[in-house]
Amino acid sequence: MTEPLLDVRHLAVSFPARSGETRVIDDFSLQIAPHEIVGLVGESGSGKSTIALALIGLVRHPGRIAGGEIIFEDRDILTLDDDDLREIRGRSISTITQKPRQSLNPLLSVGRQISTVYRAHNEATRQEGARKAVELLEMVGINDPERRVTAFPHELSGGMAQRALIAMALSSAPRLLIADEPTSGLDVTIQAQFLDEMWDSVQATGSAVLLVTQDLGIIANYCDRVVVMGEGRVIEDAPVKTFFAAPQHEYSRRILSLQRAEPHQALDDVDSEAGSLVAVNGLRKVFELASGDELIAVSGVDFNIRRGRTLGLVGESGSGKTTVGRALLRLVEPTAGTITFDGDPIENLDVKSFRGLRDRLQVVFQDPFDSLNPRWTIERIVREPLDLHTDLTKEEKRTRVMETLEMVGLSASVAKLRSRRLSAGQQQRVSIGRALITEPDFVVLDEPTSALPAAAQAEIIDLIARLQHELGISYLYISHDLTTVEYLCHDVAVMYLSQIVEHGTREQVFGDPQHPYSRALLASHLYPDPTSRRVDRDVRETLTGEIPSPIDLPVGCYLASRCPVAVPECQTAPQELIAQPDGRKVRCWRITESDLDWAELESGEAG
Amino acid sequence: MTFSVDLHTDEELQEGLAKATPPWARIRGNGLLIVGLVIVAASLFLAVFGEALAPYDPQVPTGDIAQPPSAEHWFGTDATGLDIFSRVIAAPRTDVTIALAAAVVSLVAGTLIGLPAGFYRGFGSELIMRISDVIQSFPVFILAMILVALGGRSTINLVIALAFLYTPIFIRLTRSEVLSQRSRTYVESARALGNSEGRIALIHVLPNSLAPALIQASVTIGWGILLTAGLSFIGAGVRPPTPEWGLMISNGANGIILGEWWPSVFPGIAISLTVFGYAAVGNTLEQSYGS
Repeated sequence: MTEPLLDVRHLAVSFPARSGETRVIDDFSLQIAPHEIVGLVGESGSGKSTIALALIGLVRHPGRIAGGEIIFEDRDILTLDDDDLREIRGRSISTITQKPRQSLNPLLSVGRQISTVYRAHNEATRQEGARKAVELLEMVGINDPERRVTAFPHELSGGMAQRALIAMALSSAPRLLIADEPTSGLDVTIQAQFLDEMWDSVQATGSAVLLVTQDLGIIANYCDRVVVMGEGRVIEDAPVKTFFAAPQHEYSRRILSLQRAEPHQALDDVDSEAGSLVAVNGLRKVFELASGDELIAVSGVDFNIRRGRTLGLVGESGSGKTTVGRALLRLVEPTAGTITFDGDPIENLDVKSFRGLRDRLQVVFQDPFDSLNPRWTIERIVREPLDLHTDLTKEEKRTRVMETLEMVGLSASVAKLRSRRLSAGQQQRVSIGRALITEPDFVVLDEPTSALPAAAQAEIIDLIARLQHELGISYLYISHDLTTVEYLCHDVAVMYLSQIVEHGTREQVFGDPQHPYSRALLASHLYPDPTSRRVDRDVRETLTGEIPSPIDLPVGCYLASRCPVAVPECQTAPQELIAQPDGRKVRCWRITESDLDWAELESGEAG
Repeated sequence: MTFSVDLHTDEELQEGLAKATPPWARIRGNGLLIVGLVIVAASLFLAVFGEALAPYDPQVPTGDIAQPPSAEHWFGTDATGLDIFSRVIAAPRTDVTIALAAAVVSLVAGTLIGLPAGFYRGFGSELIMRISDVIQSFPVFILAMILVALGGRSTINLVIALAFLYTPIFIRLTRSEVLSQRSRTYVESARALGNSEGRIALIHVLPNSLAPALIQASVTIGWGILLTAGLSFIGAGVRPPTPEWGLMISNGANGIILGEWWPSVFPGIAISLTVFGYAAVGNTLEQSYGS
């Protein structure tokens, strides 16, 4: 091994506890070589973020570094005085934290903040600093950097704020970059853009990166080595391919189980002639904003969900996928369109009659803690649908609740607890149990795993698949996580800016996406598979530019301004969903054009 | 234990909460809260048993006129010969009862009005809030005087006047908590499960929105005692010779220039201590609720 850039030996961090101290980091050792990208994974609470801070000699109040050495460029960071430390922080070691908005000073423009950091470590005049800020913003892919450099943090979207923070971290061309979940909160297409840049810069300059993340896709595609943390120490340290092929530790095996599982058995068993349970036609939802503007959240959405099947609705934030699910359940009133459930139109039912149907149409939300009444016991929460929709006796209800808890994999002992006592995964099981206790025909699953730690995600997905197999429920599965969509769904609809742009079977959409947006989305998705890494492929199909505002939608195709295959007519001609010979529907008239050669585009201009 | 590392995800946050100290442990470590609770308990105890425990009848002159504190009359006697100690410990039956009743009435009324005002926004909600603004923009003491003058000097009228003044506070507190609770996902879940809007408001949102108003109620009782005493002091409260702290201060005020400090000072201390006790309980609860 080459001389390590960073050598951490037996690091310990402790926090005061009621009696004495708790070591949250104990005997943590790690080496990072130049050119290396090291992924740091571990259960939430295992001390990942504490490590990210401790490496630059910082600990959150009231903790302290209790021992060990951090050798960086032949000096022990822990023994340096403040001046030397300041010299290293920000210049030789940069840090990118989560929560970009909270990390920026709300009173200063982003340009000013970037230039301050730059000038702290470089001899530069104010003007040079300002110029550098524009350059850096351009480098991290922000459109119109001259204008954005004067923007204040609240004027930036979360994604842009994150990129500004990245620009700040890169301003001194650091030898080591510590990035703590740098892409959480970014959409996949933008995430891919940032990680590509990071990878390129590591290859070009010989710097190194410690990447703290829960996302196995990022690890597999960008990291050279994986370090797994558990209870404050390293429990596994392996090259990325070894880690994915033969994980040593129990925790590693658990988080990898989702990736390795074959699509659930139930997907193939289903009768393909199964009748339609839910049909949506021309669904439209327009929100009136306080400013008087209209926000078109959903327009012209059609789909069918067959009995016992799952339709996956995928798209980035703001695509309208969540609104579709809520409009379907009349949690928001659709502006237009028809909804048929089990043969009957339900969009015009009065509130009371619809309420009577709710035992058959259920939903599981994203945030498991927030979806449960914090004052109620789990038993009361799970029992509530029975109280509302059945005339069972107290004893019968109790039996049903216990059966349901068992069905979703919870022990009877949780019945007496309140939700805050449970882990996020257990809370989501409660939510699922509550949705299923009335034996519904149809359940909307609105990002049910995205608020969960990696290991719990895998378990919840398995549970969802198993319950469909056992109970024959139909799902609308809303998610931006393509791995889980591929695992669970029979059919997939891709949404972009309020519309479905492609709708077909899972094999069609995942195997051979047709719409330019679906192609870009799938290309940006990071599969947890280190044998086919994004960085090893030359195909880098990314969209350019930013998503148009849903308040002021383009006249023509909504993707025209970002699309690699757009021709001038696309700017003015609205697109319809066109049925293709293989049965799928695609909202792009270009894909049947003879002059369109994807192979050429992929190796050429889009690469 | 404050385990402040890595509190990013919900799960960790909840683990942190689950490990948080139980309420009784917090009370044990908080001197201010203990003092407050002792005072509150004492005031409630005296409101019930004060008159029975008094060594002399608080409304019948003893014959010893204007005596300074002594072994016989611990706090002395006033110009008409009434025993000050007996009157000081009998007074909570008036002061605390009026303030407590007013706080309970305004808490109930404020919650019942604030709940729909927050849950169903719209014209009605705006109207309620503007009326609350108007009531709250008057100086409390003067408005209380006017209300008592209109209704006449009686215990019931004092309770009504105080409750009227304090209700807007509870409307506002409940409404703002309801506004934040109604956007929580559990409310939408309740809707998706088939709850009616009224049931969601009463069964789900209300119990989760009560804490700020309940905490405020303690502080309000303190204010109510002060206002009751103040009104009696200027002659707009209860009628003499009812044992009441404000009335006693008022009666004793003339004697102060003659050096007779005891008829005013002891009821004054009683008011201060009681108001302090209720405020201490309210404030410490508020702080622990926020954290």
